[in-house]
Amino acid sequence: MENILEVNDLHVSFETHRGEVKAVRGVNLTLQKGEALAIVGESGSGKSVTTRAIMGLLPKPAGRVKSGGVVFNERDLTKLSDKQLQKIRGSEISMIFQDPMTSLNPTMTIGKQIMEVIKRHQNVSKTDAKNRAIELLELVGIPNPEERIKQYPHQFSGGMRQRVIIAIALACNPNVLIADEPTTALDVTIQAQILDLMKDLQKKTNTSIILITHDLGVVANMAQRVAVMYGGKIIETGTVDEIFYEPRHPYTWGLLSSMPRVNSKNSELFAIPGTPPDLSNPPKGCPFAARCPHAMKVCTEFMPDYSEMSDTHKIACWLQDERAPKVQPPEMIQIGGDH
Amino acid sequence: MKRIVYMIITFLVVITFTFLTMQLMPGTPFKNQNRLSPEQLAQLKHFYGLDEPIPVQYIHYVGNALHGDLGGSFQFGMRPVATILGEKAPISLDLGIEAIVVGAIFGILLGIIAGLRRGTALDYGATFISVLGISIPSFVLAVFMQYLFGVKLHILPIAYWKGFEYHIMPVIALAVGVVANVARFMRTEMVEVVNQDYITTARAKGISSFSVVFKHSVRNALIPVITILGPLTAAIVTGSLVIENIFAIPGIGSQFVDSIVTNDYPMIMGTTELYSALLIVMIFIVDILYGVIDPRIRLAGGR
Amino acid sequence: MTLLNNEITKDMFEPVVIDSTESEIIAGKSTSFWKDSLQRLSRNKGAVVAAIILLLIVLLALIGPTMNKYGIDDQNVVRQNLSAKIPGLDKIHWLPFDGSENNVDLYKTQHAKVDFWFGTDDLGRDLWTRTWKGTQISLFIAVVAAAVDLLIGVAYGGISAYFGGKIDNIMQRIVEVILGIPNLVIIILMILILRPGLVSIIVAIALTGWVNMSRIVRAQMLRLKSEEYVLASRTLGASHTRIISRHLLPNTLGQIIINTMFTIPSAIFFEAFLSFIGLGIKDPVASLGSLINRGFGVLQIHPYQVVFPGIVISLLLICFNILGDGLRDAFDPKLRQ
Repeated sequence: MENILEVNDLHVSFETHRGEVKAVRGVNLTLQKGEALAIVGESGSGKSVTTRAIMGLLPKPAGRVKSGGVVFNERDLTKLSDKQLQKIRGSEISMIFQDPMTSLNPTMTIGKQIMEVIKRHQNVSKTDAKNRAIELLELVGIPNPEERIKQYPHQFSGGMRQRVIIAIALACNPNVLIADEPTTALDVTIQAQILDLMKDLQKKTNTSIILITHDLGVVANMAQRVAVMYGGKIIETGTVDEIFYEPRHPYTWGLLSSMPRVNSKNSELFAIPGTPPDLSNPPKGCPFAARCPHAMKVCTEFMPDYSEMSDTHKIACWLQDERAPKVQPPEMIQIGGDH
Repeated sequence: MKRIVYMIITFLVVITFTFLTMQLMPGTPFKNQNRLSPEQLAQLKHFYGLDEPIPVQYIHYVGNALHGDLGGSFQFGMRPVATILGEKAPISLDLGIEAIVVGAIFGILLGIIAGLRRGTALDYGATFISVLGISIPSFVLAVFMQYLFGVKLHILPIAYWKGFEYHIMPVIALAVGVVANVARFMRTEMVEVVNQDYITTARAKGISSFSVVFKHSVRNALIPVITILGPLTAAIVTGSLVIENIFAIPGIGSQFVDSIVTNDYPMIMGTTELYSALLIVMIFIVDILYGVIDPRIRLAGGR
Repeated sequence: MTLLNNEITKDMFEPVVIDSTESEIIAGKSTSFWKDSLQRLSRNKGAVVAAIILLLIVLLALIGPTMNKYGIDDQNVVRQNLSAKIPGLDKIHWLPFDGSENNVDLYKTQHAKVDFWFGTDDLGRDLWTRTWKGTQISLFIAVVAAAVDLLIGVAYGGISAYFGGKIDNIMQRIVEVILGIPNLVIIILMILILRPGLVSIIVAIALTGWVNMSRIVRAQMLRLKSEEYVLASRTLGASHTRIISRHLLPNTLGQIIINTMFTIPSAIFFEAFLSFIGLGIKDPVASLGSLINRGFGVLQIHPYQVVFPGIVISLLLICFNILGDGLRDAFDPKLRQ
């Protein structure tokens, strides 16, 4: 399977009055055709920034790609001008955002908003665009599309709005869809509906998806591969099975442990102690060292290399080094352990 | 609709207020009052209906006013106030509308530029211009312009209202305040809008920057700007009093000042009422307009 | 990414005791709202410059009139209409301080022995003293009017917002009616009734200005009223006074200060305009507006009589506005970078 999108050693920084904040520090990602890749991490880990950098949507003038590249269709997106990127956005790579309540223009009918992206990238007549918009609304499960096309966003519920947003994103049949926490702002039942919709559409259109989330439940539901980010770096990546059943990085262990379980023996929720690192002054070693229960001297001094457990499973951790003591993952998450 | 009733009530209160004010004003409208004998004074008062008890005068006045009769101007030998106002109003209206249109256009443009380029030199420059516009008193500016362009450079006429070139300086002097206020407001709105999620969505759709700015940002930012049209009208009215005076423009503004000096009560009352009516109607229109333009309000069935 | 293996020795793989509580310390000191805003304000160069200029003007207004021996009403027709002359600066001819007009040195022709820094008017009165004394008066009127506005406006808006319901309704209808008449018109009418004079001007301006303040205070309080910490306070049984003084007022203070910053220049403007149309301070007492008014008459021949008070008033207004804008930006937590 070929890679449809590659992120190579990407470094993104923000200039603030406090100095330079290094939000993304050497991220490597690949996305294959038709697959769903989940990027998991806490707030501030750099996951959103990475995807904005792919789309060229970093806030100007503060955000900059300092080095590295994003290869799509044999072109490095970070080297393209905004005008060139505009041709790609919405038509070849689309993005949907977290809060459906504020992501649509409140003074434009949703019909116009869908037609806008169609007419921007395709040379079709107004009627054709309108018909396509109606088609799309049906596709994402909105009843009465001919009527609703004339309505305004505030006349739709949150879940409906997110469906509209998905419709807009898929209007021009993009190769890649980037979804930045698409269900976080929705009720749990609606979440499930939206995820099902996305899975369904993915099967129909074979679009590759990059899914950003902090919810491991969503990951289990939708993704084939997972990349775990922390402190601006990817600290573990693998297939869904590998990450859930054979995690190797203490941070991943922490994430899995903090998933609330219904029938667990413990009555307390587990939380990783400490707070994320300050990226205006990033630690020189592993970003997780300050909070890691297995930290060693080397962890605070040097950033670990990636070791490969398999073709698909890579971990950036000194515990993988042969000189390190052998450490078992916590009981809670071992197979057959607590659940 | 409730609002129409409010409008009328407000206006009635205004009329009452001006009436009472007139009663409290010192002096009488009669020239050379001290040369008249008490009997002559009484006769005159009787003729003008000034000797009747106040509530009666009031009722007469309101009744007449609702028929469009605002009394006779003392200054102009009892010529109907309404007629005089009718002659002069179009001129002031002309000046006011030109000022608003010119001011709004430049103000919006300036505000867009400042908002989009926030924090840059362009922003500071535009903001500085608008602060100047708000701060420098219109009469100082008007005087300065008169001096510079009229006296020193001789390129523009400094008084009267007889042709296009006569409009230039007064309109600019009046419009500057409008530009400044609109620009400042527009800038704030633009900054607010540009940070909204739906703008990011629009960019993510690959829409051209021009479209993002004008079809999305500006359109949304413009809506709240309508709300300042009400106070803006009041400001234009205030400004016109000044400007008409300085440039000797025969509009309602200069008339107002004149009538003050000559103690022409009916004229003063009539002018005040006209101004108020204008303002009240303007505020009313703005309210309605706002409800119509913003689909969130329009389709949610009002507030 | 490849490290030389001999840099990393086996002993570096010893576990390190990490005190995770250390990383729970939130980086960055927390400051109070006021300190933080003051910091932000001081970073705004425009506002700082404006504040300095304002201080200078106030200073001059206070000590200016005493800097030479002339009072505001010392008349001497012999010295009439002299242009401005400042010793030292009079050698620089493109500055308006060389005492000449149309290239004629008036001081020589009129045999004036003393230099008048801002010149004299048609009655021979020293314009330097008059200008600064006038500034005093204008500022006095503006500050007093603004203070009255503040008291009435805060009280009215606060009561309206705090008690809500019917009381709010009625109070707001009244405000709407008042708004139906242009401010200036009300002021002018007031002056006519009360006769022009220092007190009447202050009263007239204050009477129209409180409306704006009350609206802002009301809006802010309404916003705060529905905030959760107020509800929490209520639930804990706090009395009305406590809620108002501890919670609502301090958070409204920011808006109040900002609005006052804008009320003052507005009052200065109104006073100036009143004087301009002859309804202001009467001679011999001077205000900036009355000086401009007098000077306007001779604008074409003796422009300096308008220029100096004109510049002072413009500076006052500009600086107050810039400072007000700066304060607004400084107090707004959303504009934090």
